[in-house]
Amino acid sequence: MSTEAAPAHAPASPFVRRRPPVAVRRRRFLVAVANNSLLIAAAAIFLLPFVFIALTALMSSHQALSPRLWPEPFAWHNFTDVFSKAPMWRYALNTLVYGGLATLGLLLSSIPVAYALARLRWRGSNAAFLITLVAMMLPPQVTIVPVYVLWAKLHLVGSLWPLIVPNFLGDAFSIFLLRQFFLTIPEEYLDAARVDGCGEFRILTTVVLRLAKPAIAAVALFSFLFCFNDFFGPLLYTGENAHNWTLSLGLSQFRSLYQVQWNLVMAATLIVMAPVILLFFLAQRAFVEGVTLTGVKG
Amino acid sequence: MSPWILGFSVFFGYPLVMSAYLSFTHYDLLSSPRWIGLANYRYLFTTDQTIWPAVKNTLWFIAIAVPLQVLFALGIAIMLSRARRGIGLFRTIFYLPALAPPVAATLGFVYLLNPATGPVNTILGKVGIQGPLWFDSPQWSKPSLTLLALWGVGNTMIIFLAAVLDVPSHLYESAQLDGAGAISRLRWVTLPTISPVILFAVVIGVIEGLQYFTQAYVAANVAGGSASYSAEAANALGYPEDSTLFYPVLLYQQGFRYFNMGYASAMAMLLLAVSFAVTFVIVRNSRRFVHYQAPGR
Amino acid sequence: MARVLGMLSLLLALTLAASGCGGSKKSDKADSGEVGPANISIWTPFVDPELKTFKAVVADFEKAHPGIHVKVVGGTNDDKIVAAIRGGNAPDVAQSFSSDNTGAFCPSGAWIDLGPYMEKDGVDDSIFPEAPRDYSKFEGTRCALPMLADTYGLYYNKTLLAKAGYKNPPKTISQLTAMAKKLTQRDSSGKLKVVGFNPFPSWYENVPAHFAPSWGATWMDGDKSALNTPAWADQLRWQKSLIDWYGYDNLVRFDAGAGDEFSESNAFETGKVAMHMDGEWRVAFIKREAPKLSYGTAPFPVADDKQDLYGAGYVTGSIIGIPKTSKHKDQAWLLARYLGANANALAKLSNGIQNVPTTTASLKSPLLKPLPGFQTFLDVFGNANTTTTPITRIGAANQETFQSFVSKYLSGSKKDLEGGLAGVDKQIDAQLKQAQAGQAP
Repeated sequence: MSTEAAPAHAPASPFVRRRPPVAVRRRRFLVAVANNSLLIAAAAIFLLPFVFIALTALMSSHQALSPRLWPEPFAWHNFTDVFSKAPMWRYALNTLVYGGLATLGLLLSSIPVAYALARLRWRGSNAAFLITLVAMMLPPQVTIVPVYVLWAKLHLVGSLWPLIVPNFLGDAFSIFLLRQFFLTIPEEYLDAARVDGCGEFRILTTVVLRLAKPAIAAVALFSFLFCFNDFFGPLLYTGENAHNWTLSLGLSQFRSLYQVQWNLVMAATLIVMAPVILLFFLAQRAFVEGVTLTGVKG
Repeated sequence: MSPWILGFSVFFGYPLVMSAYLSFTHYDLLSSPRWIGLANYRYLFTTDQTIWPAVKNTLWFIAIAVPLQVLFALGIAIMLSRARRGIGLFRTIFYLPALAPPVAATLGFVYLLNPATGPVNTILGKVGIQGPLWFDSPQWSKPSLTLLALWGVGNTMIIFLAAVLDVPSHLYESAQLDGAGAISRLRWVTLPTISPVILFAVVIGVIEGLQYFTQAYVAANVAGGSASYSAEAANALGYPEDSTLFYPVLLYQQGFRYFNMGYASAMAMLLLAVSFAVTFVIVRNSRRFVHYQAPGR
Repeated sequence: MARVLGMLSLLLALTLAASGCGGSKKSDKADSGEVGPANISIWTPFVDPELKTFKAVVADFEKAHPGIHVKVVGGTNDDKIVAAIRGGNAPDVAQSFSSDNTGAFCPSGAWIDLGPYMEKDGVDDSIFPEAPRDYSKFEGTRCALPMLADTYGLYYNKTLLAKAGYKNPPKTISQLTAMAKKLTQRDSSGKLKVVGFNPFPSWYENVPAHFAPSWGATWMDGDKSALNTPAWADQLRWQKSLIDWYGYDNLVRFDAGAGDEFSESNAFETGKVAMHMDGEWRVAFIKREAPKLSYGTAPFPVADDKQDLYGAGYVTGSIIGIPKTSKHKDQAWLLARYLGANANALAKLSNGIQNVPTTTASLKSPLLKPLPGFQTFLDVFGNANTTTTPITRIGAANQETFQSFVSKYLSGSKKDLEGGLAGVDKQIDAQLKQAQAGQAP
């Protein structure tokens, strides 16, 4: 029992934390800057492309083609022009449909499988897990030809279905991630539920899902991001049908049809980047947790 | 389980088998596949002049760009772990570019690195350096793509940061007691402890390198697009001079522009073999470098 | 360009079709009596503003054929059409800007054989001049109709030439080279400001195929690829020497800063390039985008040792055909026939978009009102030495293989010209063999 520690009502006590004088603070700040100068420089360089893209997005078409660095005047209307030059809303809708349905299907199918792989002991679960890992590693180009042929025979090439449907049948990466997380749930919770008479399915839906919210959020986030950023898939399956293009494909084609107006292309680029960055700020924790889940637990 | 098994066989097992079958045929989707035995493979290994640049480019990427990305991410993570204030802000700044959709980021970089009107060369010019031709030069196009990749290491960086921050402090304390300086501590404590994560990053990087498509495709089309719009042969893939022709890009071109699907399947089989081989080699050799932490005392 | 042309051609074709309908109502009534109503679709590479005109012409066609409704999809390209046929979602009539695909479509039946239809309607092959007739057929099977052609020649900026003391355009390559050097201006830092003639490969229309006629260079010798010839060697050596004079990197920078070919900042239209190889459609573009430009057109200069070739050029064109998946082939044939075979319509289309009409009758049509500068291209089209690229089973792959080598040679990465050309021949032969593999001889 110590009688010296009484900071709460002893302002004169030397253990109370007071703000250091201004001079000291300034020196500490400068020292911090110096110590981290490399970091600050790196951060500035990382931000530079964004800055340039934003500046170009505000230039007139003529200025964008010249070596000028600062727009004059600021062409704010470029952002609205983008929407009139290309059907960006349609692209956005397609992207939402693709991303939303795919993520839904992914969750519906991957969670049970991951649970099975993690919890239920059945012969061959290890083998199945290994095969899952192998499937993760293969470049999609290996299987792309026959799968495309399959969709062509079904006359579904040109629509978004070839992109959405496979997600309803599970995805190796998500299954892997979820399984790793499920493995960390202590057996006691599940046993408690079993004692209460719950079947495996109810255990899954009531207990496990609630506990695994961060992992599930991360998986959903990654899946949606993947669909948002997916270029190869839409290129392959909707390339010939501009009606069904997603934002990534639409953005890449924005230049070919409309004669490279770089200022508009950069404005469009920012517009396409914006939702993702917004989503990040809103769901920061889920993002970071999810990324670390993959890396550290892997 | 069953939907997944169904999906697995439909979208993984069956295509693998079909790919193997198609690689022995000539198939253009307009008529049925025509069995031609080993002709595709013979063409691939002996006559096709575009295969080897494609293989070289992909291997270049795996051998140079991937390690650079890992090192860069690691470096930033370590620097960040030392910083006492503002980690959150810096972490966000370094992560933001990784969020940019690949197409958007590529378009941005191609514009920024335009040899004549891009901001980068303009600024270099003001300092008196004549900037290189970036995406328009066969020597600089892959480095330009590498710069783009380095800009987006946010994901890897965050994983490393978490791992570095996870290193048990008692290890550092014992090292300090033994008289180890900062660099020694880095080499003998930090790196070995996070080596499984480094391995993970390398493997993921290699896998992505083997699939590298979007950025190369978009960059080649945009940079080369200022070239002819001629109806004949308006194909800019690999611009300039096949320097950005990566294996997946060539596969796409053969299979989905020329519709040599049999030949593309043969290429896919080769890619499969190489993927296995490379991953196997890495994991095999990892045992020498990777230390898995002993279960807690 | 080809896109615009293609669209214009399509528009013209439809206008022709429409006017054709109006002219011979009786026979059309008989036709539409046999052919029932239907909804058909046509894909074309045209985009606005040509697409608007195209759609208007389609509307005329629909008025003349009540019951047949045509859905027009613009902005397509060869890849999309090819992919659609393979994916089973192809339109009833498809237009391609590139005659190269004839070799892929015909033998496989992707586009149907039009022979039976032509016989039934009494349309004969001979209404087409030789080159278009050839690039819409493959090994005797006619699966496409030519629909408006493009020919290439020299455009020159009269103002810039006059300032340097030139009144006439060059007729030989050495004249072209000398004038190009004199017309080139650099700024104080050595960067290119005005380029006399831009020899950079694959810039705008600078593909090897377009230069071939000036040296009398050909592609095949019978069945085999024959690029390793003195003609090609001379052409490439000339191009390389001019590139080296400008400086390869200087040209890259110039090109990177030059405007897009089909934008208003087109380098020739804005006076950044004094002499330029381009197709006949440019006449219409200049009228619309740079009406004050003082320019002239002439056949492209020829090699010094081949001066008898002067007046010839390169020709290619759009083709239209009926994909085999079409469910309304009879109606599709009506549309295709109008687009490809009606002389008045072709003439009107040519007037509107300044493309070359592809039947001998339309060439002589009194309705033809070419803009000044356009006559050159009509003459080139009629010249006996004007050539096109041969149609092969591998489509445009042979040209792309060749171009890949050409760009490496011209940049200096590959130095052995004859060896390289021989290598390209071997590659193309192997590709041709691959495409035939497994087929019964």
